Amino acid sequence: MDRVADRLSALGSTAALELRGVTRMFGALAALTDVTITVRPGERRAVLGSNGAGKTTLFNCVTGDFLPTSGTIRFFGEDITAFPPHERIRRGLRRTYQISALFLGLTVRDNVYLACRGVSRARFSMLRPGVNDALMQATERLIEAVHLTSVRDQLVSELAHGQQRQLEIALALAGAPRFILFDEPAAGLSPTERRELVAILTSLPPHIGYIIIEHDMDVALRVVESVTMMHNGRIFKEGAPHEIESDPEVQELYLGGGHE
Amino acid sequence: MSLIQEARAREEMLAGSVVTQPAAWSVTEQPWAWAVAALLLIMPLIANGFFLIEIFGTTLILGTIALSLMFLAGYGGMVSLMQLTIAGFAGYMVAVFGVSGNANISLGWPWWLATPMALVLAVLFGTLGGALAVRTEGIYTIMITLAIGAAFYYFTNQNWAIFNGHTGINTIATPHFLGVDWRMDIAFYYLTLAVAALCYFAVLYLSRAPFGLALQGVRDNPRRMAALGFNVNAHRIAAYAFAALIAGMAGVLQVWNYRQISPGSVAVERCIDILIVAVVGGISRPVGPYIGAFIFVILRTFALDFLVKVGLDGNRFRLLIGLGFLAIVFWSSDGVIGLYERWRKRTRQETRPPAGGHGHG
Amino acid sequence: MSRFIERHPIWSLVILLAIALLAWLIIAVWPPGLEEAIGRKKVFLSAVFNGITLGGLYFLVASGFTLIFGLMRNVNLAHGSLYLFGGYVGYAISAATGSWILAFIAAFIVVAAIGILLQLLVFRRMEGQDLRQTMVTIGLSIVFADLMLWAFGGDFYQIQTPAWLIGPVQLPLITAMKSSGEAVFLQYPMVRLVIFCASVVIGVVMWLALNRTRVGMIVRAGVDDREILAATGVQIQLVFVLVFALGAGLAGIAGVVGGTFQSISPGEDTRFLLASLVVVIVGGMGSIPGAALGAVIIGLAEQLGSVYIPTYAIVVTFLIMVLVLAVRPQGLLARR
Repeated sequence: MDRVADRLSALGSTAALELRGVTRMFGALAALTDVTITVRPGERRAVLGSNGAGKTTLFNCVTGDFLPTSGTIRFFGEDITAFPPHERIRRGLRRTYQISALFLGLTVRDNVYLACRGVSRARFSMLRPGVNDALMQATERLIEAVHLTSVRDQLVSELAHGQQRQLEIALALAGAPRFILFDEPAAGLSPTERRELVAILTSLPPHIGYIIIEHDMDVALRVVESVTMMHNGRIFKEGAPHEIESDPEVQELYLGGGHE
Repeated sequence: MSLIQEARAREEMLAGSVVTQPAAWSVTEQPWAWAVAALLLIMPLIANGFFLIEIFGTTLILGTIALSLMFLAGYGGMVSLMQLTIAGFAGYMVAVFGVSGNANISLGWPWWLATPMALVLAVLFGTLGGALAVRTEGIYTIMITLAIGAAFYYFTNQNWAIFNGHTGINTIATPHFLGVDWRMDIAFYYLTLAVAALCYFAVLYLSRAPFGLALQGVRDNPRRMAALGFNVNAHRIAAYAFAALIAGMAGVLQVWNYRQISPGSVAVERCIDILIVAVVGGISRPVGPYIGAFIFVILRTFALDFLVKVGLDGNRFRLLIGLGFLAIVFWSSDGVIGLYERWRKRTRQETRPPAGGHGHG
Repeated sequence: MSRFIERHPIWSLVILLAIALLAWLIIAVWPPGLEEAIGRKKVFLSAVFNGITLGGLYFLVASGFTLIFGLMRNVNLAHGSLYLFGGYVGYAISAATGSWILAFIAAFIVVAAIGILLQLLVFRRMEGQDLRQTMVTIGLSIVFADLMLWAFGGDFYQIQTPAWLIGPVQLPLITAMKSSGEAVFLQYPMVRLVIFCASVVIGVVMWLALNRTRVGMIVRAGVDDREILAATGVQIQLVFVLVFALGAGLAGIAGVVGGTFQSISPGEDTRFLLASLVVVIVGGMGSIPGAALGAVIIGLAEQLGSVYIPTYAIVVTFLIMVLVLAVRPQGLLARR
């Protein structure tokens, strides 16, 4: 009961995602140290940093793939630190994976259908859906939205890399997402495909906030309004894209040596 | 993005390299399957009692137990070696709750009470075992389920109060209803055929229902399934429960067929036989286990004569089974079905010009 | 160790109390009330010693199994067959030459050679496909079992204990007090104690080899992270073959031990395969200390169980496995 009240009272003012002092150890190695981040509802933010800076570990802590060693994570005011992954997803959190994490033995349609089904009821239903099933229609719309209609009956294992990345995004858009974590969505895409990706990201409904991990500055800085720099598992700097871009320390550490 | 992708897809389609979903191998999509179905239905006209029960009845029962493994392994990616144990447990429960020659053990319930009771307990057994097995993943599943199966085998050997030790329970009563003695050859054959068909079509249907799709999602990528809002372990355990129901039904038929059950029926080798049956037939489609079961039963029945004829010791049946199994595992990733499909693909490629393509199937 | 106590104070206390209770039961002269309640101390002590020495045997089998799994992710379900074959080889050699030591050497060499052949001819061709490898080991176990049945028949064989190990040895543990006040000490078969000590030595040597030598480092790195191993450019195939040979050879030695302790016959392969499975599930996959701990726990559970609750002995073993899976699914001493 008080959890409902908690959620209701939290609705108005609070942040979409709030991490306080999150630390994650792997044995003696600290992958994240005392990370505190607050993201407003609808805010779009990039997390930058070199390999091993702890970006993906940060995502894994938020989605519940790993539990933080210490610290708290709140999602729209609700403390989700100890929630299993599926509970977080049902509250509107989504993510994509750096290396496409799709169901290779199923068709595109089945993949998207599962994503829609995952956040709705009757996940255990033993009855086949009809053609007019609301979820089936939602599935078709999503497939269309990421331009995969022509291949919707193909097995995912037979798709091209770019198509798999598109499907990856479709899975994250299923249901009613409130906040999405994008883990290097542009990895391995051609320049044209990158432009399309930017278009998809900027045309997301304004109430959907996200955090994006991206090495390609041209993609990352164009689709966000704030940037968090990470280094060795710690927050190193926060600010607007232009501040970060011109910051000498950041230049030194990350962009130094001339980026692509 | 879209234009490029679509163009690429079209190119591939024209090149004929796009393979659409594999044929579903359901009765409705393979013409010769109708012939098999018809043959099975009129079998009592063709085959005598020995063939009807010892070959076809046994095949259907064995195939149904292996079907429960196929469901778990093919759709859920969980290779469970305890499916025979669950079937045997259901058989034991029929003997314990129903009527048998061991009056000190059997409770003497009528079959229509004892059978559902046995099935419920079997499902419970399977669910608990599954809940244990899903604590770990992948290859560990084999080890844990094998350990469960072995523990049950040794337990039935040691325990006299319920399982009557290594003698087991004998002369178990079989059902009579609607004026039919269901132990008679023809009636029993149709009973097993009905149960096998029910299980087969249920699995086939379920594979395209949300539950079955989700299970295949769990097989392909459990982490992503969790990230989509699915409770992965709950799905796995539910799959174990469903598979236990299938195995349990087959187990009940098994005990009605032999009218006795003993630790030998649930021995570790028997558990592994089920895996062999499913793998030899093909573990990705529900029809595979039945094909595997047919081959297995034929071999088991006629290997002795065959081996003696070619001048070998007739007792080398297990050697034959083991070598055959090894050959299948070496040369086909999907059992006999896999071999058949490869052969069909090759003949198709030979008869058709390669550029023709087969865009839709 | 200290970190474990820090993190799980209650568990540590329970474990400590259990060990203290066991130590007291072994060392103290039992008060009459206790003897009335659970029987004579001599029975208990023999069960404990049988359990621990059986644990030594289980360790020999399971350590090879866990090593092969840990490095190659190969669940070798033919491991029991290697054990049984080692037993037959040992029997044949000891019957022919009369030398017990020679039986061990021959069993190790022959079974290790089979391991090498398996790795080179079979498993190398399906690296990374752990399910397929497991299927193959199942097929092999069936073929081996039938070949051995063909060759050796269904009889029980017992390997002759050498003369210098026959007979009991008196241990400084009091089993009872005579009415005269004279203490009765425990008599225990010498051969079992010697074999147990030998398996402890083997365990320690293996542990040292894994932790102190270069090959051991490579193997351990491979257990933790196989990609690292591939990336370092060591001759990974050679390491695989060596580990497979060692694991198989240990199973062969264990077969000779089993043939001396008990006997060898068809069916023992399955029994020891399952013992290895349970030991390794309890102790933790790929961990040598885990295999040791698991082996002693399972050995004790089996022997104490068969003395005090004969019809449910197997259930005790099984419950231990269930408990471990419930509390610590990766096994007691596994990392991760």
